[in-house]
Amino acid sequence: MASDRPTHLIRPVVHRDVVCPFCGLGCDDLTVEEEPPATLAVRSTDCPVARERFSRTPSAEPPRVAGVAVPLAEAVEAAAAVLAAAQAPLVAGLGTDVDGARAALSLAERLGAVVDHALSDGLYRNLAVLQRTGWIATTLAELRNRCDLLLVAGPDPAALHPRLFERWVAPAPAFQTPPSREVVFLCGEPLDATRTALSGIPVTVLPGDPAKIGDAAAALAAALADPSRALGAAGIAPGDIAALAERLRKARYAVVAWAASAFDEPHADLTVERLVRLVRDANRHTRCAGLPLAGHDNVVGVNQVCTWRFGVPLRTSLAGGMPLHDPHRFAWARYADVADAVVWVSTFRPEVPAFSAGQTVIALAPSGTAMAEEPAVFIPVGTPGIDHPAHVFRSDTVVALRARRLIDRGLPDVATVLKAIAAALPQEAPTC
Amino acid sequence: MLTKLAGGRLYDPANGRDGAVGDLFVRDGRIVADPGPGAAPDEVHDLSGRVVMAGAIDIHSHIAGGKVNIARLLMAEEHRAAAITTEEPCGCGVGLATPSTHATGCRYAQMGYTAAFEPAMLPSNARHAHLEMADIPLIDTGGYLVLGNDDLLLELLASGAGEEAVADYVGFMLNATRSLAVKAVNPGGINAFKYNQRRLDVDEAGPFHAITPRRILTALAGAVQRLGIPHPLHLHGFNLGVPGNVEATLDSIAAVDGLRLHLTHVQFHAYGVEGDRKFSSAAARVAEAVNRQPNISVDVGQIMFGQTVTASADTMAQMNNAGLAHPKKWVMMDIECDAGCGVVPFRYRDKAFVNALQWAIGLELFLLIEDPWRIFLTTDHPNGAPFTSYPELIRLLMDRDHRLTRMAELHPALPEHTILGSLTREYSLGEIATMTRAAPARILGLTDRGHLGPGAVADITVYTDRPDRRAMFEKPDLVFKDGRLIVRDGVVVAFLQGRTHVVEPAYDPTIESWMARRFDERMGQRLTHFRIAEEEIRGGNGLVRHACQPGSF
Ligand code: SF4
Repeated sequence: MASDRPTHLIRPVVHRDVVCPFCGLGCDDLTVEEEPPATLAVRSTDCPVARERFSRTPSAEPPRVAGVAVPLAEAVEAAAAVLAAAQAPLVAGLGTDVDGARAALSLAERLGAVVDHALSDGLYRNLAVLQRTGWIATTLAELRNRCDLLLVAGPDPAALHPRLFERWVAPAPAFQTPPSREVVFLCGEPLDATRTALSGIPVTVLPGDPAKIGDAAAALAAALADPSRALGAAGIAPGDIAALAERLRKARYAVVAWAASAFDEPHADLTVERLVRLVRDANRHTRCAGLPLAGHDNVVGVNQVCTWRFGVPLRTSLAGGMPLHDPHRFAWARYADVADAVVWVSTFRPEVPAFSAGQTVIALAPSGTAMAEEPAVFIPVGTPGIDHPAHVFRSDTVVALRARRLIDRGLPDVATVLKAIAAALPQEAPTC
Repeated sequence: MLTKLAGGRLYDPANGRDGAVGDLFVRDGRIVADPGPGAAPDEVHDLSGRVVMAGAIDIHSHIAGGKVNIARLLMAEEHRAAAITTEEPCGCGVGLATPSTHATGCRYAQMGYTAAFEPAMLPSNARHAHLEMADIPLIDTGGYLVLGNDDLLLELLASGAGEEAVADYVGFMLNATRSLAVKAVNPGGINAFKYNQRRLDVDEAGPFHAITPRRILTALAGAVQRLGIPHPLHLHGFNLGVPGNVEATLDSIAAVDGLRLHLTHVQFHAYGVEGDRKFSSAAARVAEAVNRQPNISVDVGQIMFGQTVTASADTMAQMNNAGLAHPKKWVMMDIECDAGCGVVPFRYRDKAFVNALQWAIGLELFLLIEDPWRIFLTTDHPNGAPFTSYPELIRLLMDRDHRLTRMAELHPALPEHTILGSLTREYSLGEIATMTRAAPARILGLTDRGHLGPGAVADITVYTDRPDRRAMFEKPDLVFKDGRLIVRDGVVVAFLQGRTHVVEPAYDPTIESWMARRFDERMGQRLTHFRIAEEEIRGGNGLVRHACQPGSF
């Protein structure tokens, strides 16, 4: 729906049905008010992430080279000069929309750089399992309309995805007769807001050791196969495991949800693997599907683009002119140790990590980003869905969203800046 | 700029040319009439002795969308082994069975293809599919919209909605998702799987909406006709891969009762239960039905031997096949009250009886179906084999000796289970041109493609006529896209972006208020956000609209 931009009335301008690009839940029902000169306030939801991110709209500032304000063209030249000389460049952060990702990946290809997203840790715990064994998964609308038993494994994902329960669990399932739903928290406590959102829905909490979620999943799988073999796990009593296994077996459509980035034990991918196996085992008896939640800062979308562009996901090196994927070696935090130049893209949040001395950093981030150390080049960029229209992906990887522009602060989008930097690189001699 | 392609042998079935020597003239990306002796071409290519065809068009190839990316992730071993290095003007990528977008565009163009269509675009995943297709260089693309397991349609049917309302729904969905055609995948079956049904018969009421697959099939085929969409309903039929499924295939043909219907990857749906292995070829029965009924067209979904990955919306069938995964990993997804996706890596082995017979069944279909305007060359990429195996497949169709040699290398029990050895037909160059150019353009309604007449888009492929047809079709001499030379001697020499083909059938917009309510209540998405804007397709450049003709079919 187009924004109402009255010309003759006093503002605020009200933007309705705004698509929120921040956490991957894809809420597209926000009302956002714009106060002059260009501040935004979310009015329709208490979602803390949306409130904080939308309201952060400092006015545009000029780019800087070595701390000195310069016109954009000069900053672009300076960035190109740095990158032309780089031996081991890293193009990372990648908190950006689909077009930004396309431009970043093209630049990385040109430079022979390593590419990764700032938040790929959680994603990789899931992808590692997908690549090893595969899985049975589902999407948000299936959860909303078909799920009669939701099993939440580990810490409440609402800490990362605040409206999960309100939008996707509280409404009664439309395509189940009779519509019924219950929610079980396994090795994690629901937040107060979650309890409120779920009022009227039966909730069971099985508190257990959050470092042993995998053990609980394995115990459940064993009890599913043979109820007499129910053992306690993660501090949960055998009787509770047996009862939950029975409930899983009787469910019509169970969903096991987790947010892997909230798992903090070592080798968290093994926890994910056991949850995935539990889902697979449950399908011998009934329908059951996993819902791996990830997706802040469009990490899911950027990974999609990387996968279709190069045939391999993030954490890939393009040195040598071909994609080489290695989730261990090319995780940005590890590769940053050896990179001599870093292009860091962060359009969704005003944060740039501290890099070691000796690294030349080119940062593309929102106005007002506080940095531990002044980067070699800083180019303020717009935020997708605030300063320019953008495509971002929902957490469940299926739905791509179109977020629109709300305000114009005169900030360039990442794709434009990165394309300009690529164009300013020395032209290579054609090889054929 | 005027370009003259002089003196080639033109295989242009749409214009009745079957190897006649002639000149082609290209101006501003299109073929134009001979401008007469006064005109001075800026560029002349001497093609004497060479074979000239329109750019080839693949009507069924899974090249983009969520399932393809899942398949890429699962095929990690292959992707590690098959990397493409950057070569000017080329970028890099990886993959054989599920190549990167870059490799997809390059490999198609290198084989003389200038268009390929994604046949399974889920409504909820359409925006993703379009974003991905826009990154496939060099070739035109488009998507067929998967309907028939979407809860909203089933709800509509269950409410007793008439043909008109169903057509309005389909019309809205095609427009909103920028699609070219309608595809039905195991209608009703994917939905039933979500209720833990592992099988659904054609006349069995589905679990929640109580609608039979037959009703869904006829409703969609009728809607396609009513809206006047050029391409008939593109049906992925029932019981894919299950011995005896020929009955359901023939039943589907009967169900549409004379309406046009396209049966896709029909090789996987032409199985009988005869013989001691309870698995037999029913190709002859399918071919006989197709030959008899001009309203039916098919593509084959030929299998070729080696490692590939199967990717389908048909979770019901894929779940049944998951035990055969090689390597042993697979993904199933239930998707958005819409459909699903199942990705199962697979290795077809020439010494395995079942695989050898599948290979033979595909070839039997090719050779028994008489009209090359109604049978299309596909491997259901990547399900039967990667599309890069087309040149070998063409050789099998054009060269009986090669066919027999290859057959002798397969499972020893094969000859007694197939009539392939007795089939003497060899496709001609004109028939190949029909099957891979003229007919796909015609059945999709792409009037200015697939032929070499004035007004056609100058997508042109030039071959050296070699007795080894595989070598010939693997590496054309020249490929032009929109009049620009993009491939010379198998090497990509210029980059350009393709276009996206769509239809925009008219429908009664009053359906939208019902849908908007349903989207709010069910899908957690506003209908206005579901609709894909024109500016989202290739950045607003490159949308090609094809006319619908309500009531004309
Ligand atoms: S839950 Fe996520 S998508 Fe929804 S409003 Fe909050 S941050 Fe935005």
